[in-house]
Amino acid sequence: MEGVKGLMLFSLAGDPVYKEFNQAQPEGIESRDWSLFIESLAGMRETDLIFEKGRLYIRRTEIGYLVILMGLFVPIAMMRLQCDILLPSLKPAKAVKGIRRLFKK
Amino acid sequence: MIKNVLLVDDDHEMLIALKEGFQKYKDSFSILLASDGLKAVEGLKKNTISLVVTDLKMPGMDGFELLAHIMENYPDIPVTIITGYSTPEMERLAREGGAVGYIAKPFLIENLARQIMTTLRKESEGGTLHNVSSGLFLQLVEMEQKTCTIRLEDKFSNKKGILFFQEGELLDARVNDLQGENAAYEIFAWDQVNLSIQNGCALKEKRIHSEMQHLILEAARRKDEDLVGDVQPEVMEEVEPFEPDPADIIVAIKEKIEAKLGPSSGVEDIYQDNSWDSRLLQFSRAGIFFNIGELEMGYIDKGEENDFIVMPGENSTVIAVNPKGPRDKLLRALSE
Repeated sequence: MEGVKGLMLFSLAGDPVYKEFNQAQPEGIESRDWSLFIESLAGMRETDLIFEKGRLYIRRTEIGYLVILMGLFVPIAMMRLQCDILLPSLKPAKAVKGIRRLFKK
Repeated sequence: MIKNVLLVDDDHEMLIALKEGFQKYKDSFSILLASDGLKAVEGLKKNTISLVVTDLKMPGMDGFELLAHIMENYPDIPVTIITGYSTPEMERLAREGGAVGYIAKPFLIENLARQIMTTLRKESEGGTLHNVSSGLFLQLVEMEQKTCTIRLEDKFSNKKGILFFQEGELLDARVNDLQGENAAYEIFAWDQVNLSIQNGCALKEKRIHSEMQHLILEAARRKDEDLVGDVQPEVMEEVEPFEPDPADIIVAIKEKIEAKLGPSSGVEDIYQDNSWDSRLLQFSRAGIFFNIGELEMGYIDKGEENDFIVMPGENSTVIAVNPKGPRDKLLRALSE
């Protein structure tokens, strides 16, 4: 979607699990302590933070928090819809037991 | 934080007219007055000034001399020139001397106010935080190796100070006429501060050579032993600081929503609730990290009967809304 500058997935403990940016990535994502930020999202399903020069759209998922960095003018209804469609596919990987774990699906 | 703008002009009537004209901007900046360059220099020593607006032709120290003094001693303070004897040559000299603005008299007070607001906004382009521990935050700046200018206001004494960072390294500090490490000790002794961050650092000279950790510990020691001076700034002439009444904030928000959306706004309740403050502080810090400016508001869906719009301030303002209400329109109305 136009205006989306990047996205990050944080674990529920605040560890960055995945990140992708369309522009220069902010320095120090891995080294920053995100735990307080993630703690402050406790109990929130969806958070839309509006800043002077941009927006952070945050969705809770089964495995953590998806944080989307975007410009001020991204159609937020479309963003919500895209997340509604895609987020159910973000689930914790199931451990495969026995000999099956040795084979690719 | 209310910012101080120093107006310098030998025309007394002009000063009074400007001061009265700026009354309607009192929630954005306070006005200090000086009738010539020398009095302005005194004012700069005793107050934390965010912007100087000065006439050029004045007895004693004129506007150009004042501009040169500011560029040498307070390079972080922007200067706007107003003059009744404007020529292209004069403007060129003022700009080359470091002035950020130049306005020929006569001018509309709204034009000058607009220029002041634009210049002042740069002071907090990197974000604003309320009720934070200065020591913790400044260690964060050091860790993230930021180049910035941080203006702080002690919640307890309302004293204001300024810190200059170059790639996380503390170059200098200033509180009234204190500079260097002594000013840093004073600032680091403040427990709770409001602060604003300006990207970039106009200062190049390094006056502080101690490690941040050492400064913080020494500040704590001095505070315990009450060694830190307690000199109150002598304010020349200041408009009363504007402290918005919480009830006024709520009424203003209600009126704004009603005017834009009418009765179908979906707003259930508006109140102030400081239990949100620490969350909003974390959100603000994330905004600083991503360099997207100051937090204006957040929309929170907790899966409860109501969603919430939260807005930072002295106390967080909370708007409980019906989740089926016109969310985007509401946020747009509040942003405007």
